[in-house]
Parts: sequence; C-alpha cells; structure tokens
Amino acid sequence: MEQLFTGFKTIAPSIPYIINGIWVTLGIALGAAIIGFVLGTLLSLCKISNIGILNGFARGYTSIFRGTPLIMQLALAFFAVPQLLGLGDVNATTVAIITFGLNSGAYMSEIIRSGINAVDKGQFEAAGALGVGYWPMMKDIILPQAIKNILPAMMNEFITLTKDSAIVSTIAVTDMMRRSQIVSAQYYTYFPPMFVAFIMYYLVVLILTFIGGRIERRLSRSDQS
Amino acid sequence: MIKAEHVYKNFGSIKVLKDVSLQISQGEVVVIIGPSGSGKSTFLRCINLLERPTSGTVTVDEQNMTALKPKQVIKVREKVGMVFQHFYLFPHKSVLENLIYAPMKVKGLSKDEAVRKAEELLKKVGLLEKKDQYPNKLSGGQKQRVAIARALAMEPDYMLFDEPTSALDPEMVKEVLDVIQSLAESGMTMVIVTHEMGFARQVGDKVVFMDDGRILESSTPEAFFSHPQTERAKDFLEKIL
Repeated sequence: MEQLFTGFKTIAPSIPYIINGIWVTLGIALGAAIIGFVLGTLLSLCKISNIGILNGFARGYTSIFRGTPLIMQLALAFFAVPQLLGLGDVNATTVAIITFGLNSGAYMSEIIRSGINAVDKGQFEAAGALGVGYWPMMKDIILPQAIKNILPAMMNEFITLTKDSAIVSTIAVTDMMRRSQIVSAQYYTYFPPMFVAFIMYYLVVLILTFIGGRIERRLSRSDQS
Repeated sequence: MIKAEHVYKNFGSIKVLKDVSLQISQGEVVVIIGPSGSGKSTFLRCINLLERPTSGTVTVDEQNMTALKPKQVIKVREKVGMVFQHFYLFPHKSVLENLIYAPMKVKGLSKDEAVRKAEELLKKVGLLEKKDQYPNKLSGGQKQRVAIARALAMEPDYMLFDEPTSALDPEMVKEVLDVIQSLAESGMTMVIVTHEMGFARQVGDKVVFMDDGRILESSTPEAFFSHPQTERAKDFLEKIL
C-alpha cells in the first residue's frame, strides 16, 4: 500500500500529461465518427439501392472491414500501404483517423440501413405522391426519421470508437493509452499511470453514455408518428 | 382526364388486377367500392404509378404514365394528389411544415407564398390553430384533414383517396368526409376508394364496383344502389347495407 502511494506521488508531475491524452483520443474518435457517418450514409444508400454494382460494392466493403481485425487494418494503413506507394513517413494521427473512419463507415452503414428500413414505407409513398424526388426525399424525409431511430446505436458506435482508439498506441500516436505507457517506462512503475488512464477512459465513457441518454430522451419527447 | 386501359397487375403469381379499364373525366367524382382484396387500392395506386402496372396503360392528361421513366413520373405526380388510409404525415415536421415542404421543394414556391397558401388551406379544413403542432398531437380525423390539405397544397388537378376514413374512430369519420364532400362540390376531379356506402351514394357521379381484380359494374350511384346488375354486387350490398 505504502509503495502504491509513493508510486502515484512519483508520477504526479506526469499525470496531467496522461490525462491530456484524452483530447487526442477524443479527437481521433470524433474525426473517425464524422468520416464514418458520411461514409456510412452513402454506403447504406448503396445497400438499399437496386443498382447492382453499388449494392455489391457496399456489401463487399462492409464484409472486408468487418471481417478483419481493426489493429491489422491500422498496421496495413500505417506501415504497409505507405511503403508500397512510396509515400515515406506519414502522419500517424491522420492515418489513424482515416482508418478508423473507414472502419466505422462499415459498421455505421449497417446501423443506418436498419434505421432506413424501420421507417414506414408509407413515408416513401407520401413523399413520392407529392412529386418529391429521390434525393430530397432521402435527405429531408427519410434520413431524419431513420437517424432518430438509430441515435442510441450511433452513440454506442462513438463510444466503441473512443475505446478502440487505444490501439492507435501501436502506431506511436501519443493518445492516452500511449502516454500511460510512456510514463510507465519513464518511471519504471506501471500501475499508477495505467490506472489513471484506465479510470479516465471509464469516466469519459460514462459521460458519453449520459449525454447519449439525454439526447435520446429529448428526441423521444418531440414526436412520434 | 385520366384513362386506364386494360390494366393488369401481378404480385408474383397473384393476379390482383385483370383487365381494368376506366375513364375519369374532368370534374367527375368516381367512387370505387368492393370487398377487401378486390384490387381497389391497387388500381388506385396504379393511377399515379405508386404501383407499376404489369401491362396496360394509364394516361393522365394525354401523358402515358406507363411509358415514362421514374423521374418523369414524379413530375406528373405533382398533378395527382393522394390521400392514404394511414395519413403518412411527416412525423418530424409540424403541420405547417408538412404543408409547405413539397410546394417549396418541388414547385419552387417562396416560403412566404407557401405559408400563405398553407394557412388558407388549413383554415379551409378547420385546423389553422394546429399549424405549429406535431402530427402526434393530433387525432386521427385531424391528421387526415391535414393530409388532405397537404395534398391540396400542391394544387393538383386530380385527387386520389385510398380508404380515407378506414383507419379512423367512428366519431371522426364525418369531419373527414365533410372536407372531401366540399372538395367535390368545388369541382375537383376525384377517385375515392371507400367502404362508406352512404357517402359513396351522396358524393359520387359514378360508382365503380370491383371484385376479384375486375370492374363488374360502373354506373350512377342511383342505378347501382337501387338496381345492381350483377349477382356479386347484389350479394355485396345485401351484406353491408
């Protein structure tokens, strides 16, 4: 116990460094979520379209990104692809955001697709009968309802991204996870720095869950059929 | 004028419409009645091509709808308003927004103009004070009146009603029928699928009786209700009147 106490004392000057890593973590998660959402929306529209090639592309894309480990995808994007294309050194954070975004797009597309399917077929018909074209119908009538249905699932996806982003430490991005490792190595004491990061991850997830719940309650109050 | 000629519609191996032909002249109110599953609604939905006929043609104002590409069909639909059994109001938009959306988006009306017209229509259906409400705050009858106003906001030349009162509580049927009736009196060309026989008799210029995917009778309400020609129609009327 005594030893643990001095351990925390020793690393105290480095605790803010670890904690501030959360901004890197959240930055990656947010950037990836935005890419994932836009990509997921497009892919979901491909999946519900009856144009064979778009449909096949979206399904293949989803299958590949969901069928391989994220850490493998990240390694491929950071180490293998730049070497293959002769790009030299690439920015690890940028690669992380793009890879997570591409990966998240696959998951989001499934979430959004199920949300679109859950919208009453009558909404498509009502819009069609008013002479509203496909794109305005999707943008103004169908997607707003679909997204409302799937908001909890999307919040979960964001939380998953936040947690999974810890694997960017493997490509030397100094996120919170990586920082806890750096501090551990520096002081040659593992428990205190890792415990700080551990607690921080959990706190952030709790806060995100809470915010998600608030948004959901607020939306369910406004309207329904 | 709307003209349907030899319309067939199959869903897989099920033949829902078998050689249906019907002509609707300007200003005419045609009421389609018949037992459930007789193809009434499907036929109505073939008129604005929500269902594409398997064969046969549908002509709206000399435009052969069945020959048009989907994009062009959407254009013609502006002229053909439709009211559904289950209203299908946009739940995330207020009553007013439901009414102004398509006129602004499709016809390119300015917001002021669309709002002015929408308020006029809401006054006509007696729901102006509900304009900022969301659909879930309305009763079934109110929803259907809003849905009628929404269709009228596009200033259609024709109106299609697909069992507009079938999903309503009994005490709300009249308020909706009154709106449809006043619309008929204003000279709107309409096709109405309904189970309300009294209403059919009162509002229709022509009554069409369908059974098993075919039109069996087509005559004036007087003639149909007092002297049905076919056994099937006699049988149907006996059971429901």
